[in-house]
Amino acid sequence: MFGWQAVAERWLNKRIPEAHKYKLNYRSIFIFPSRFGGLFLLLCLGLFILGSNYQNNLMIFLCYFLLSLFLLNLFIAYLNFAKLEVQLGKVKHGFAGEKLQIPIWIHNNKRVSNGLLKLNFWKLKHSVNIDLDDSTYPVYLPLDCEARGKLKLPRVTLTSTYPLGLISCWTHLAFVSDILIYPKPLASKVRLISKDDLAEVNEADSTAKGHDDFDSLAPYKQGEPLYHVAWKQVAKGQGMISKQFSNQSGATGWLMLASLRAADIEQKLSELCFQVIELTRNNSTFGLDLGNLKIEPSSGTEHQNACLKALALHSPYLKGVNA
Amino acid sequence: MISSSKNHAHIILTLVFLCISLSLLAPVMGWILILVVCAVVMRSALYLDLHKHAPSVRTLNLLALLSAIVLAYFSLQLGVLLGMINLLVLACSLKLMQLRSIKDYYQLITCCGFLIGCGFIFQNSIGFSLFYLVLTLLLLLSLACHISPSLGINKNLKRIAVMGVQALPIAVLLFIVLPKIGPLWQMPTSKSHQTGLAEKVTPGDIAQLSQSADLAFRVTFSGNIPLPQERYWRAIVMEEFDGKTWRVSPERKAIQRQYKQYNKEFKPVLSGRYFSYQIITEPTHQNWLYSIDIGVPDSPQSANQIWQSHEYQLTSNTALVSNFQYSLRSFPDALLNQALYSVDHRINTQRPDSGNPETQRWVKNLRRQFPNDQEFINQVLAFFAEQPFEYTLQPPLMQSNPVDTFLFEQQQGFCSHYASAMAYILRLADIPARLVTGYQGGEMREQDYMSVYQYDAHAWIEAWHSDKGWQRYDPTAIVAPNRVTFGLKTAIEEAAELIDSPFSLDGFSSIAWLTDVRLFLQDIDFVWTKWILGFDKSAQKDLIKSLIGELTPKKLALFGLSVIGLIGLLLAFFFVPSLRGRKRDYISQYYQKSEKLLAKLHIYRPKSQGPLDFANSVERKLPNSLHQPFNQVTQIYMQHQYTKTTQQQASHNKALMKIQWLRLKKAVSRQLKH
Repeated sequence: MFGWQAVAERWLNKRIPEAHKYKLNYRSIFIFPSRFGGLFLLLCLGLFILGSNYQNNLMIFLCYFLLSLFLLNLFIAYLNFAKLEVQLGKVKHGFAGEKLQIPIWIHNNKRVSNGLLKLNFWKLKHSVNIDLDDSTYPVYLPLDCEARGKLKLPRVTLTSTYPLGLISCWTHLAFVSDILIYPKPLASKVRLISKDDLAEVNEADSTAKGHDDFDSLAPYKQGEPLYHVAWKQVAKGQGMISKQFSNQSGATGWLMLASLRAADIEQKLSELCFQVIELTRNNSTFGLDLGNLKIEPSSGTEHQNACLKALALHSPYLKGVNA
Repeated sequence: MISSSKNHAHIILTLVFLCISLSLLAPVMGWILILVVCAVVMRSALYLDLHKHAPSVRTLNLLALLSAIVLAYFSLQLGVLLGMINLLVLACSLKLMQLRSIKDYYQLITCCGFLIGCGFIFQNSIGFSLFYLVLTLLLLLSLACHISPSLGINKNLKRIAVMGVQALPIAVLLFIVLPKIGPLWQMPTSKSHQTGLAEKVTPGDIAQLSQSADLAFRVTFSGNIPLPQERYWRAIVMEEFDGKTWRVSPERKAIQRQYKQYNKEFKPVLSGRYFSYQIITEPTHQNWLYSIDIGVPDSPQSANQIWQSHEYQLTSNTALVSNFQYSLRSFPDALLNQALYSVDHRINTQRPDSGNPETQRWVKNLRRQFPNDQEFINQVLAFFAEQPFEYTLQPPLMQSNPVDTFLFEQQQGFCSHYASAMAYILRLADIPARLVTGYQGGEMREQDYMSVYQYDAHAWIEAWHSDKGWQRYDPTAIVAPNRVTFGLKTAIEEAAELIDSPFSLDGFSSIAWLTDVRLFLQDIDFVWTKWILGFDKSAQKDLIKSLIGELTPKKLALFGLSVIGLIGLLLAFFFVPSLRGRKRDYISQYYQKSEKLLAKLHIYRPKSQGPLDFANSVERKLPNSLHQPFNQVTQIYMQHQYTKTTQQQASHNKALMKIQWLRLKKAVSRQLKH
């Protein structure tokens, strides 16, 4: 069973290689009678046998008429399906353990394609049905993210049985994606460690103090929360200026993987994930030390993303590089 | 779980099912039809949101169980075929009540398709065929609405119509070309659907048949057409008489079975003048065939399908469940004296000893006076002529000693009364005699074909003559000579009223155009029967032969390939345009052509440059004669691409585009020459 799947996957990788965008064509479309199509053919066979036994030409003609329709359907189904263009929407990251909504764009130029379309991830049960004649895009396909790391997006399967449900057209599309799954945040105490003496300098609570002790004004940096923007100054035309608060310079230190007490590495990473988010929320400056990878102290969303990425991709056995 | 509320697919399917069930009114039992109507009402209520909940599965299971028991109770009397159809309709109606999942829906569609096919067993006139075709298309419409629900019923209807039109030529090709195969196995036929003549005759029975204006069979003659008094279509020979009823002799059946077992068919030697003709019978669900006097198969195909037995009776090897076509040659002057006399004699002098005492006495007296067979027969015929016998469709009931009552009291009867009485009289006089039923007459449509209707059903007798063998006598012809020469309608005035309405438009009708319409419809029906319903193996062979000449394997292979090619071409014709894009965009094409023209002068548009910028750069590089038309081309192209235009404007632009492009082409070629 497993062997077969591996073979099928390899074959598919060759046949429909990863891409950012697909225009469905003969290489990527699979076509076969659906289950109802099989039943329909059985009906034709029944009519043929009954018609032959009763020597009833009308019954035989009905059988041939239905068979001709079946043949036509093969082409209509293909043409309807082949006109679709499919693209993955933008999605940056998610957290392990949550359901990620993967957006998928379907370009149905001038509505030439019709009928119901079923979308699902390959080998996953859950499917989303849309009506090509009447739907809004993107279509969101839910995906369970179990483990942290680079998300291997399963192939997206699109199935259509237009026009009469006799023929099933489907495709398994592999999208290039750089979706990162961060570790699941685990509530814990934030412990920043000073690098110089490796002593704890600040045992900050998750509810940081001095949040609004106004300190000074500084140019707005990308990623700072909007509620820090000094709108009065902005209104005076001095450009984007944000308020700086007193406590943020105070909490400087390192988050260290090695210093955590949890037994499991995954749990440690989860705790770190939580702490990174908390610290960024409080606008703290901090660095991250994962042993084989160090991120120098900084703050802001970009820094947070870098840290979370490091957490997501962390592997204790890899020789890391300093970011 | 799918909802029926406002679901077009479901309501169309429901209506189609209702129509099919109603068209199967005769074979389907009443209580099942009531269930069908219940299911339809239920589904309609769900569709209209009058009701929210379908009945629970438990209720339906209980209903199904009860229905199954009732159906099983009736199944013995229904027989296999009707039982099957009733079961199918019952199952469909229950499924319709329960319709919940997509799987249910698909199953129901398939069953309805099969029921439409079954409908053709019972109905195959043009009208019904069209009706069933429409139902099939509606079934497909339901499917289309199921798969693309928001496309709208009109668009789906259009799609189905287009699909149907496209499928039709392919289906016709397949129908003509794919080999016809014979019955794979004997199918059950339903006793209650047997029509036409019966295997036994109690005087008075044929009178029932005579009130039906249904077609019995049609004949096309090649060569001579028999005169009205020669049109005696023999069908069933009855040699067993019990005092009331004539039936096919069991002894004869046993003998025939034996011959069949050893495959020793009776082959009479025939000579003299003959009629050559082809008969297309209507389905009777029986085996009897019709022929004038002694008929022998005229083609090897017919010879394979027909069994000739020793009473000069033709039977088909399979029951006539559909229109059956066979060709015969009949020899009206040939003598029927080739079968074994001893057997004929033994079977045909058998008679009941008791009953009808008056007739027995009368025959004894007459026989004493006329010991010669021929003279005796003449006397009997004279008796019919002299006594005040009356030929009527509605004779009084004759329960005890029917022959006595008929001959000496009532003296009113239909053909079977006369034939039965005369055969009985002759048997009493030890002259072998038997009753033959069949049809007498036939309405010729110009010189093309003859139609024989059920009201032409007739009975007459055959008596043994020591030299000539079996001789035909028709006592009815003596009582009512018009019956034989002009048909039943002239013989009995009341007949016209009794026979169904279409017949009343007939002959006597003073409205000429009504008669014309009737005859026209008959012609269409004839063509339909002959070429569609009667398109059998030999007809197929003839058609292919007329197309490609002599049938050699090589030619046949080529023919098959060319048909496949033809189907391929048809498909290409249907689908290549849409493969190349919906509509050809001429204006864009001309723009691209213009660019190619400029490319000849080594001027190319970089990918990053828009058409307007390109036109400006062209203006700088090229002389007036060249850039002016190109400027125009660009402008029309821009207008076409970026503004909305009406149909009229578009065609105007197309023409302008062409003119400018031609100008550009001339200028470029001039430029190239220099």
